[in-house]
Amino acid sequence: MTYSSELSELIEEFKEIDDKMERLEMVFDLADEVNLLPPQEWSEATRVVGCQSEAHVRVEVINACVNLESGADSKLVQGLMGILTLAIHGTEVAEALKLTPDFATEMGVLNTLSPSRSNGFRNMFDKVMRQIEQIQGD
Amino acid sequence: MREDFPILQRKINGYPLVYLDNAATTQKPASVINAMNDYYANSNANVHRAVHTLAGEATEGYESCRTALKERFNTDKAIITSGTTEAINLVAHAWGRANLSDGDAIILTEMEHHSDIVPWQMLAQEKNIELRYVPVMEDLTLDMELFESAIEGAKLVCVVHISNVLGVCNPIEEIVSIANKHGAKVLLDAAQSAPHQDIDFKSIGVDFMAFSAHKMCGPTGIGALLVADDAFEEMQPFMGGGDMIETVSIHGSTYQTNEQKFEAGTPRIAEAIGWTEALNWLSSINIVAEHKRILESARWLASKLRAMGMNVYGRHDDHDAAVVSFLHPTMNSEDLAHLLDARGFAVRTGHHCAQPLLDRLQITGTLRVSLYFYNTQEEVESFIEYFSEILERFA
Repeated sequence: MTYSSELSELIEEFKEIDDKMERLEMVFDLADEVNLLPPQEWSEATRVVGCQSEAHVRVEVINACVNLESGADSKLVQGLMGILTLAIHGTEVAEALKLTPDFATEMGVLNTLSPSRSNGFRNMFDKVMRQIEQIQGD
Repeated sequence: MREDFPILQRKINGYPLVYLDNAATTQKPASVINAMNDYYANSNANVHRAVHTLAGEATEGYESCRTALKERFNTDKAIITSGTTEAINLVAHAWGRANLSDGDAIILTEMEHHSDIVPWQMLAQEKNIELRYVPVMEDLTLDMELFESAIEGAKLVCVVHISNVLGVCNPIEEIVSIANKHGAKVLLDAAQSAPHQDIDFKSIGVDFMAFSAHKMCGPTGIGALLVADDAFEEMQPFMGGGDMIETVSIHGSTYQTNEQKFEAGTPRIAEAIGWTEALNWLSSINIVAEHKRILESARWLASKLRAMGMNVYGRHDDHDAAVVSFLHPTMNSEDLAHLLDARGFAVRTGHHCAQPLLDRLQITGTLRVSLYFYNTQEEVESFIEYFSEILERFA
């Protein structure tokens, strides 16, 4: 699948890093890429179920483009949210729905994390995609 | 000592493994691994009835574990189970169902591991039994005054010897003395204490004691329930099947009268053989001196972490375990654990299967460093050095 230039660059950047600490540092830095959903707006509706941390996402479609807001009590989880933000925020709905979680596998970012964190990422991805589909169907 | 453990030579992400998750499970010496391999390579057979040479060797190997347990812990009855959890469940099913009824009470503490809470909640629901919980006080000890007032009318006290979260060692002699006065039996969860202390089952005076092999350098999937003679007589068979019977006819069955009555089916033979080697390994070191050494390292670690602004949960008295549970004021514990793993440090985060205790402490989890006899002060110092680096870069 073809990715946006920003996501493609990120995938390449991750692939080039061998050191686990450097990869984690990159994920930490990407936490700043989210459009922050502040804790006071977290609710059961925004919660990512199956994530060990408190992880919350809110999806809207504005002018046919995805608007993703997210936040977590873990910087690493929020970093994963940052990656997803770079991947789909501001893209057209039809384009966003083509994305699969394979991009994170290709990036190698999931191998850096524990199995529970990797599952958490997939749960977050699924929740976001389901919400986009739901909004599109409404 | 460290050369006995092959895994300690391993590198993680290019860095030497510093294994600090021993309250979850310990590493295995080569003697344990070799003994299990040797059983499968040379003596594999089922135990007890067959007359051939391999069956004899397998039986001897399996029963040697029971003998070693009896010698080490000074007990007449050692039932081999799959671990602490099954041992506690066995008490609930084999003793609890037969001896507790509507309106009886069981005392638990807020410090218990889930494996010493959930089986009793299930039994309480089934038999309408009251569960009374002894609170943990601010100094992280049990409220013994409340324990004394709660014991009236209780038939069983279930208490953890050493907390897997705090490392706090509970006053078992005092608890047994109070329970005895009121005719209550005592079940001791010794999962964290049996690996660190020389425990004399008869002297300590509890009726049941449950623990696992894998926390004392033995294999996973095996543990034991030590039982006092009178309590053993009050237990009814729980699981039915092969090995636990004397005779079976279409009209009914009669049961073994020894520990095998509670060991239905083919037992964990290789694991028992491995555990025997682990017990031998433990006998080869001075546990008291080694415990004192790692407790000193835990105290040093706790003081350094406090100085760095961490919230440390534990007191590290002489009989406590070398466990240091702590929280960074703002950084997520799992994030820290990932960063530590990047340089080979293995630690644990989360609720440690003790949610009622964490509720009492008003936290949802901790980052836990737990030491065992093969850990060194140098490892603890390298942990602090690297942890400081992490905080400088990420906090």
